[in-house]
Amino acid sequence: MNLQYAPFPWLSSILLCCIGGLLTILLIPGHRHKEIKWVSAIYAGLTLVLSLNLFVIYDKAAGGFQFVERIPWVESLGIFYFNGVDGFSVPMLLLTGIVFFTAVLTMWELNHRVKEFFALLFLLVAGVFGLFMSLDLFFIFVWYDVSLFPMYLLIAIWGSTRKEYGAMKLTLYLLAGSALILPAIVYLVVQSGMHTFDLTALMRPGTFSPGQQNFIFLLFYIGFGILAGVWPFHTWSPVGHVAAPTGVSMIHAGVLMKIGAFGVLRLGMFLCPAGWQHWAPLMALLATVGIVYGVFVGLRQTDIKYVIGYSSVSHMGVVGLGLATVTVEGLNGAVFQMFAHGIMTALFFSAVGYIYDRTHTKAIDELGGLSHIMPLASGYLIIAALTGIGVPCLASFWAELTVFIAAFRVYPLYGVLAVSALVVSALFILRVVQRVCYGPPNQRLAHLEDVTFRLGLPRMILVTVIVIFGLFPSLMFEVIQTASLPLLNGLP
Amino acid sequence: MMNWIVLSPEMWMLATAGLFLVRAMMRPDAGRNHVLALVTAAIAAGVALGGAGFNGDLFAGTYRVDLFSQFYKCLLAVGFFLVVSLCSDTKGVREELEAEFYLLLAVATLAMMMLVSSVHLLTIYITLELSSYSLYILVSLNRDRDRGIRAGLKYFLVGASASAVMLFGLALVYGTSGTAYLIEIMAALPALTGQAAFNLGLFLVLGGFFFKLAVFPFHVWAPDVYEGAAHPVAAYIATASKVAAVGILVRVAALGQAAYFVHVLAAMAIVSMTLGNLAAVAQQDFKRLLAYSSIAHGGYILIGILSMNTVGYAAATFYALSILIMKFTCFMVVVKVAVGNKNPSLSDLTGLHRRAPLMAMALMMALFGLAGIPPTIGFTGKLLLFTAAMSQGHFTLVLIAMINVVISLYYYLKVLRAAYLLEPADDAPPLRETLPLKALSIAMIAAMVILGLYPHHLIELTRRAAALLS
Repeated sequence: MNLQYAPFPWLSSILLCCIGGLLTILLIPGHRHKEIKWVSAIYAGLTLVLSLNLFVIYDKAAGGFQFVERIPWVESLGIFYFNGVDGFSVPMLLLTGIVFFTAVLTMWELNHRVKEFFALLFLLVAGVFGLFMSLDLFFIFVWYDVSLFPMYLLIAIWGSTRKEYGAMKLTLYLLAGSALILPAIVYLVVQSGMHTFDLTALMRPGTFSPGQQNFIFLLFYIGFGILAGVWPFHTWSPVGHVAAPTGVSMIHAGVLMKIGAFGVLRLGMFLCPAGWQHWAPLMALLATVGIVYGVFVGLRQTDIKYVIGYSSVSHMGVVGLGLATVTVEGLNGAVFQMFAHGIMTALFFSAVGYIYDRTHTKAIDELGGLSHIMPLASGYLIIAALTGIGVPCLASFWAELTVFIAAFRVYPLYGVLAVSALVVSALFILRVVQRVCYGPPNQRLAHLEDVTFRLGLPRMILVTVIVIFGLFPSLMFEVIQTASLPLLNGLP
Repeated sequence: MMNWIVLSPEMWMLATAGLFLVRAMMRPDAGRNHVLALVTAAIAAGVALGGAGFNGDLFAGTYRVDLFSQFYKCLLAVGFFLVVSLCSDTKGVREELEAEFYLLLAVATLAMMMLVSSVHLLTIYITLELSSYSLYILVSLNRDRDRGIRAGLKYFLVGASASAVMLFGLALVYGTSGTAYLIEIMAALPALTGQAAFNLGLFLVLGGFFFKLAVFPFHVWAPDVYEGAAHPVAAYIATASKVAAVGILVRVAALGQAAYFVHVLAAMAIVSMTLGNLAAVAQQDFKRLLAYSSIAHGGYILIGILSMNTVGYAAATFYALSILIMKFTCFMVVVKVAVGNKNPSLSDLTGLHRRAPLMAMALMMALFGLAGIPPTIGFTGKLLLFTAAMSQGHFTLVLIAMINVVISLYYYLKVLRAAYLLEPADDAPPLRETLPLKALSIAMIAAMVILGLYPHHLIELTRRAAALLS
């Protein structure tokens, strides 16, 4: 794997923006809400610009890990501060930048413990960025936990429906995942005999025997799979999403669940490729069950956020199915789906959040005719729904198409099941849209105002991204391809 | 000619003890005792840090001053200083006995300093008893006479049994090896390892240290003593006393070379962790909760010790430091939140984020540290322990420890919930964050995060220290 060192520390500057934002917010007196929000928006905007810049200047011809920064950190343990991005992580950084910035804008109306909220949000996002760019197992684990523990407070303090239960359940589930990941990491480091946490050194073929790889891959798969919402470890996810405040739901469903899939990819598949191939049939089975299950449980929900929560389980199943095919198309589709689902679900939660803040209800039955009352706000909801069901020219379409093409070839039965389930999901999502946005307007809600330009900005950005990558999917595929081809070619 | 200068930390502690002995006899006005104690403790920390480089064998080879012992002495001196700094307003100790309180605290610290330097069975026994007896009395000094005496008596009875068991073990070890010098026993190990009497003796000796560390099955005293002791005394038992126990345990455990030794230690570690964590889940009294979490942490430390190599001993040493910082932070909250001499329950912590934002933040970091979540020193310590155990092939043990981490997270989150989620009760007494308290909170947060994220130098230091053991 070739490493290109960075002429300028682009990656560290993204992290610095997060830490800088955190420290700046801590220094502002807590009652100055406006200043805190502006500072947050500026720093979050900076991370977006930096990650977009990386997406543009990443050298697709060269591939490999680029913008590498490497400083010895704890030499006696072989720990390095070691960052670098490849075709898998560049889209994820862009996703994080977009969702973070729009989440900050979405929370513009917050007025309860504002300082702590944004400080924790910055801490969380620092963890997410760090995880996506880190190439050192120690730091990957540190960032993983840094991105999880603010979650408890974010949900339990600012959340809604059954927030303390949701927060506790989510934290314990995800930390249970890390209880499997840490022993796996330590096992690999010790067994390699190299006494290094350096991912690029540990991923050399032949470092671990197939038996070791099978064992460790399973630990990584379950450990990170909990966060990725893999069935049957998904139960925290709908509960957590419903309980979380809007901006946190956006980051959580949009980015954090991707960390799970990314962890399986980066640690599981890079370090234990033999284990990946060994367990691929199981992954495919669980993914398909997740897709079908998510759709059918989603059908019965009466709370919009639960509908989105279960559709996330189903969409993350598509990611899992793509990874399980062990093909270039499947991998490309899976990573693209991670990106597309992240943006889509952020838009979904952001749109629902706006409606909830006005109507104070998430029950589908209590809404109705919103397209007459708030045409713009419901427009965003409809676009999110259309993206969710994979309408052509919107980003998710390409991602799901690629995954299903690969799945049909490798696992025809699962492919058929998954596609039929998604057709049903179109039914249920459209039913929700119909009940919420059309029909006779609910008179109780008739006085509500539509979304203004400033409050609608985050949703506009998300819609733009969905359309751009829906019209020009090759922008994304070209980048992902630089990483998926070498990974597949390197397989034994 | 003996080089007395290498004993300067001990001599300073002796002088401190002497000073408070005189004051206890003179009974001057109580007001200045605390300032005096704070100054002497600060100097003690300075002297210990200054003496970090000393080396030497003293008293006919029964007493060794090396990097290992000096490292622990620094921790003890710092722990002494931190605990004294908590004693400013509410002490929970009978006022007329304030000088005696500092006297006993100084003697306990002196004894523990000598304990970590002891390399002779008798020196170990005497210093261990000296520190224990000081603590028995300290526990009974509680302003609430009944509670203090009950706790002190329980501590004493369990402690006396443990020390009887230990004496029996010492006799067996001496009888089988024919020497009381650790270094000579170490040299004779190949012949001794096969002897059941020697191994039994060694276990019984270790029992005395397990009592100090509150590891299963020697843990029963911990919850009641923590609950019944005055807050600063409980803080001292949870921090400095644990550090000393780890120090001497590491020194002596190296003698256990028999194969089944590791299995027994592993079993004790597993039971300690699981029992401590499960029992802590049910606690409403914050001090009892911390006591059970101490039992669990004793189990984690055993994981490092049973690796039986330098890396493991270094990890245990690192973890002792991290416990000192994290547990102290929790007890700082206990002392400040407590109303009068009552033990704070979890509901007394409600709204801490409003009443004392900095202290609440320090508490949050300490709780995450105790739960082993990065980027705190508690995580780095656990990583070191697990790496050491994993390199000896204890995969299952590490997995069980990690599952315990998840269990423990539940009750730490319960504490965090009280401190951060709930708003303060209307009748909550005001809590003023004074400048020293703010400084202490910031220092603890900084120590936890910086040592957690950049442990390089500290790891080097602990490894150099632990390398001297073998």
